[in-house]
Amino acid sequence: MAKVLGEKKGAAHGHEGEHPPAPMVDEVSDFEVLEMAVRELAIEKGLFTAEDHRRWTEYVHSLGPLPAARLVAKAWLDPEFKKLAVNDGVKASLKVGVDWIKSPPTQFGTPSDYCNLRVLEDTPKLKHVVVCTLCSCYPRPILGQSPEWYRTPAYRRRLVRWPRQVLSEFGLQLPPDVEIRVADSNQKTRYMVLPVRPAGTEGWTEEQLAEIVTRDCMIGVAVPKPGVTSNVKMPVHRAVHPLQHGHS
Amino acid sequence: MALLENDDLAPIGVLEGISHRGRPWVDLAAQYGVTNPDPPWKVTLDATCDILAAESCARIDGRVEASEPVLPALERRSEEDELAATVYAGVPFPERQLLALAHSLIRRGLFDEEELARRMERVHERLTSA
Repeated sequence: MAKVLGEKKGAAHGHEGEHPPAPMVDEVSDFEVLEMAVRELAIEKGLFTAEDHRRWTEYVHSLGPLPAARLVAKAWLDPEFKKLAVNDGVKASLKVGVDWIKSPPTQFGTPSDYCNLRVLEDTPKLKHVVVCTLCSCYPRPILGQSPEWYRTPAYRRRLVRWPRQVLSEFGLQLPPDVEIRVADSNQKTRYMVLPVRPAGTEGWTEEQLAEIVTRDCMIGVAVPKPGVTSNVKMPVHRAVHPLQHGHS
Repeated sequence: MALLENDDLAPIGVLEGISHRGRPWVDLAAQYGVTNPDPPWKVTLDATCDILAAESCARIDGRVEASEPVLPALERRSEEDELAATVYAGVPFPERQLLALAHSLIRRGLFDEEELARRMERVHERLTSA
């Protein structure tokens, strides 16, 4: 039997001045069991190895929106870097620690993310917003996992038809003279938005700027604002007319 | 090839049972006061989806053996969309992503329903034995 180091004695809990333990879910759910059972069966059947799965888990765990926020902040501060970002998103990603080709465990990109990032620059009269009408393609290496609403047929179908209305549902009211361009991600290309730097951020550091560049700003459903550092919580609606897939 | 035939998208007993009785993360988190928006198993689920979509899963003698993906991302997502709108319509995300993945794997014959049910029993025993 394995020896447990640092085992707590009963009296070790609840010392005066100690923080109370963080709340945790104290029951085993069927879904937790299902996830583990599927994974174990896949390993047992030789679909992948436990070692490969561990490496992929570490990779997925490392993903998040911070590198993309830093890329935007750098572009706001450095016109030369902005040119690089707009002309070669993959090369610019290297400056924020993301190697689209070599970071994933495959060492040659990920099968679902591909290796072409295009950074779409907004202007005061042009707003970009990103979708994947086919499934949920997303620039995960630099922006992390996509939010639930991004995956829904309702967002995917409606954004291309009524972008102005959908953006207003996210709380983004655009004047009529602002053109909206919807970028449809696909198997070859991923997109992220380089929003306009907001007023009131003069003299800010890269770190300060990156804090207001939220995930939603880089999908294009929000614009950065001083003091706003979190994403909007969107209720997810089921599609009235579910998407019909024409691909196989 | 994506599963778009009606038979393939028909309910699978063991998964249907979980979809009705399983407690989704949103309920558990609310009950226990946990603020993490995703269940702990979301990362490992995403890793499973990624690795099944990889064109080369097997490494032999340090070399990557080229092979077709077990479950390409586009097929998995289109099946998930179909299943999420029908069989698992009442299940929240990411639980329905997990159910859809298991559904797709069973329908492809990569393991069967009885194997999954037996494995779930064993996993449950292990997780609740301490």
